[in-house]
Amino acid sequence: MREPIVIENLTKYYNKFLALNNLSLTVAKNENVGLLGPNGAGKSTTLKILCGLLRASSGAAYIDGVSVAEKPEQALSRIGAIVETPEFYPFLTPEETLGYLGRLRGMRGGELKSRIKEVIKLVRLEDWGAVKIEKFSRGMKQRLALAQTLLHDPPVLILDEPALGLDPRGVVEFREIIEGAGREKTIFFASHQLVEVTQICNQVAIIDHGRLLAYDSIAALEKKYQSLERAYLELTEAPLD
Amino acid sequence: MTELEKLRIVAGYEFLKHIRRRRLYVILGLTLAAELAVLILVPVLGEGYPDNVKVMAALLSMGPSLATIGAIFFAGDAIAGEFESKTGYILFPNPVRRITLVIGKYLACYAAVILLVIFGYVIVSISLLVIYGNIPIETLSSFGLCLLYAGSVLSVTFFFSSISKGAMGATVITLVFIMVISGIVDSVLMMTGQPHWFMLSSNGDTIATVYGGYELFLEGVVPHGGMGMTPFEIETPDIGLSVLSMVIYLVVGFLLSIWITKRRQLA
Repeated sequence: MREPIVIENLTKYYNKFLALNNLSLTVAKNENVGLLGPNGAGKSTTLKILCGLLRASSGAAYIDGVSVAEKPEQALSRIGAIVETPEFYPFLTPEETLGYLGRLRGMRGGELKSRIKEVIKLVRLEDWGAVKIEKFSRGMKQRLALAQTLLHDPPVLILDEPALGLDPRGVVEFREIIEGAGREKTIFFASHQLVEVTQICNQVAIIDHGRLLAYDSIAALEKKYQSLERAYLELTEAPLD
Repeated sequence: MTELEKLRIVAGYEFLKHIRRRRLYVILGLTLAAELAVLILVPVLGEGYPDNVKVMAALLSMGPSLATIGAIFFAGDAIAGEFESKTGYILFPNPVRRITLVIGKYLACYAAVILLVIFGYVIVSISLLVIYGNIPIETLSSFGLCLLYAGSVLSVTFFFSSISKGAMGATVITLVFIMVISGIVDSVLMMTGQPHWFMLSSNGDTIATVYGGYELFLEGVVPHGGMGMTPFEIETPDIGLSVLSMVIYLVVGFLLSIWITKRRQLA
């Protein structure tokens, strides 16, 4: 149970709508796993349960062996997350926002200041560190979201469409950052972009209607279905030409 | 890291947000304008300032309105805003308990409202000193009651913020509850001779009536000594019962907001 991410028989109802249907999967240490699925498949629901934003109707989710439902603070201390399109407090600057979040995670003084500078530089917001976030574009907020994910150097990254809103250069830069981080971290990454997933991840979990349809290495899926795209389309029942 | 340390961090940054917002300065400006209006209009429209300093002090008591507006505008989006504007996606996946977040936000809102109340009472004190050369000791009690009233309004606002989908809804519901529903029910109960010590609007009246009750106010302000016969008896709220009532609103509203926020999901 000490794997970074363990999902056991996760079920989630939104009133009568079944969003997750007994989903189980395990993400091993230092694996980069892409979570693929059509709109409404349950990807965001899965990630939100892992981040303590939603409660499962049944089943359990664990981060480094710690139940997210029973000990959320302990579980969340091990993750950095981007969920949906993040919004920040408009009256704070990136430095103040990262200072707030860093201090909540126990970071202090000089260590926190230098780490804030480091991650702001990493996401190329050096000229905007002291500017109020109300002036930021969507892409800039996405960059800041990535910065806050990496700020405390967590062992596990949970990312929900993290490149959404970025310009083409930003997408490339983001990919490079995540690829670099992925060498030492465990990444669980939901996306619609198969190219992105192929470049960043070595394993893929394909879900639809809340059920796990396939969970294998990209290489194995490509061998079986000729391409990841074909695997996705066949498994999620989209018609093929 | 202890929850107390996290609480200090949350309260500090939440307070920073309030300081950065325009609404604080708008309310300060409105307070100044309202007090100036009273100071100018009372002698202009009447026969000069009232002879009794306590009457003027009661007239200048913007406490209920100030505390209500301040509390509602600072606290309306405290909880609902995190869900509506999706800033909760950044804040909630941190290793900090929801109860710590709620208490920190409450303390920050309270600090902002206290600033407003202090500002209002500084204006009152300076005005009374200039006009009468003294400040009645009841001003301290009025200030204390105003702070307690602000805390209870804040708790009610936090409750509505915790159950509302959006900040605007929370703000409007609270305004309607306190200024309309509570006011109307309070008036009806008073007119029919029923107890109304538990109504928040009645509790807010103690901020002014602490100076000497409705009779003092009516005699000192209305020309020729009073209104004469009234169709019903205007009973000055009992301060002890009002304090009890405000404490109940403060505690119950606050605890409910914590309980609801802990369980609320961010889909």
